[in-house]
Order: sequence, then structure tokens, then C-alpha cells
Amino acid sequence: MRHKLLTLVILAGLSGSAFAETIHTTVNGMVCAFCATGIEKTFRKQPEVATVKVDLQTKLVSITTKPGKTLSDEKIKEVVTYSGYTMGKIVREK
Amino acid sequence: MKTTTLLSLTFATILALHANAKPLSYVGGTMAMQENDETGHTLSLDYTFTPTEAFGVYVKQERNGRDILMLTPQINTLLKRWNLPDGQGNIFNMSGAGLARYHDNNQPCLWTAFLADYESRRYFISYEPRFVWDGDIEKSVWQRARVGIAPYLANYNDLNTWLMFQIDHHPAKHDHFVATPLIRFFYKTYLLEVGYGSDNHIMVNWTVQF
Repeated sequence: MRHKLLTLVILAGLSGSAFAETIHTTVNGMVCAFCATGIEKTFRKQPEVATVKVDLQTKLVSITTKPGKTLSDEKIKEVVTYSGYTMGKIVREK
Repeated sequence: MKTTTLLSLTFATILALHANAKPLSYVGGTMAMQENDETGHTLSLDYTFTPTEAFGVYVKQERNGRDILMLTPQINTLLKRWNLPDGQGNIFNMSGAGLARYHDNNQPCLWTAFLADYESRRYFISYEPRFVWDGDIEKSVWQRARVGIAPYLANYNDLNTWLMFQIDHHPAKHDHFVATPLIRFFYKTYLLEVGYGSDNHIMVNWTVQF
């Protein structure tokens, strides 16, 4: 019983670190498909990023990281600024 | 004749891009633009190498009774951007220096233009003055203003449609003012504009970003 509990704790720890993270951020100034493409392509170049989705209606960019990887708020801000836009609020989900 | 027409169309296609889309892409992106209107044909190919600068080649075949051909390298600079929650405003400068050719007369040439625009997902407005100096061939000033409205709000993967109205002012040309209603289609990184000017010329512009 003790061994099983220990195994479960270890597995939970391992799987937790291997989870992909989905990060949503609003982007000010993103009003057209050309803008969205620039942001999407710049995020896709980041080695931590698995997928990027853009919604022009809500000005929301949703980034899913590769398992076990994450992107810091500073890095997201850097990518958005490098694309020529300004970042709004960030929401993270695992 | 066929070669000239083909060349003209190619130039026109390239030129059209300039006045229709922003002259900057994303860093590492390339943009081809062509414009064909009553002034002639323009083609440009730009590579964006920083968030505020693109470098490229600009070719213009000008009509209006004088077949002037201009070929210049060009640099496009984002001077100022306002990123707003529901819109974006920009001021760009585009400049080039190279050669102009009229018959067998080759002259150094310079041109510079400013583009100020504001767009939301629903409305668009822009103003662009352009100054051209082709040695002793021609010196000209040209300005263009545009307003546009999107009849529906399309998302990233949808076809975007804009209804626009453009006014050109060419003090040195026969038609000082040319009014052109046009329709713009925008799908991801492809843009196409078709209009019909008050001088009875068809305008066709396209832009591709890759």
C-alpha cells in the first residue's frame, strides 16, 4: 500500500512536469490577417511552442507549449513586442 | 507588343502592392506588391529585417504619355505605431534612390513617401503623399487618400471584404483628381483590390506575404 502511494506520488510529479501549457494573451493592435500572421509565425519560431491559434474577434492569441515546456510572461511580451504589437492580459491553463 | 504588355502587367502588379498594404511584414517575412492604375504599374519586393524596417526593390513603369521606367532599392521604415485595443495607427516612410529611364535618357532618381493610416476591424483611413525626382526627366508630387468600411467582421481564416473609396491628386497630370471606388478582398496573407477610376481606368492591385 505504501509502495503504491509512493509510485502514485512519483508518477503525478513526473506527469505534472510533462504537461503542456496553454497560454492566452490579448494583443493590442492586432486588427487584420497580416497582423495575425506575423504574430503567429513569430510565436511558432519559439522552440517551446507547439501550436498557436489566433482569434481576431477577441484579439486573443492562444499558445500551447510542448510537453514540459513553458513560456515566461517576459518572453511572451518580448515576442509580441518584436512582432510590432503590445501585449494585454495573460491567462494560463494546464 | 506582347512582351511589353506582359512586362507592364508584371510591373503594374508589383507596384500595386505599395499603396494597398502596410509596407512592413513580420521579421523574416517577404512581401510582394503590385499596383496597376492610371499612373502606370508598380512592383515592389520587400524583406522585413527588423520590427520597424524592410528593405527591397522598387520598379515603376509610369505612363501618362511619358513611359518612364524607375528602378530603385528601397527602405521602408515604421516611424510610429499606436497599438490600441480596437485599432492600429501607423506612420511609415518609404524611400528609394536609383535610376530612371525615359527613351534613351538615364537619370539618377530619388523618391520618398509617407503613409499615415488607421484601421480597426470595421474602418480604414489612410493618407500618402509621394515626392519623386527623376533628374531632368520629371519632378512630381502625388498624394492619395483612402477610406474604407468592412461590411462584415471576418475572422482570421475567413475572407475579409472591404469597400473603399480612393482619391488621387496628381498636380502634374491631366486628371488632377481621380476618384476610385474599389473592393478589397483579404484572405490570410493574400490581398486583391479591384477598382474603377473616374478617369475610366481599371485599377488592380495585389499583395502576397510569405
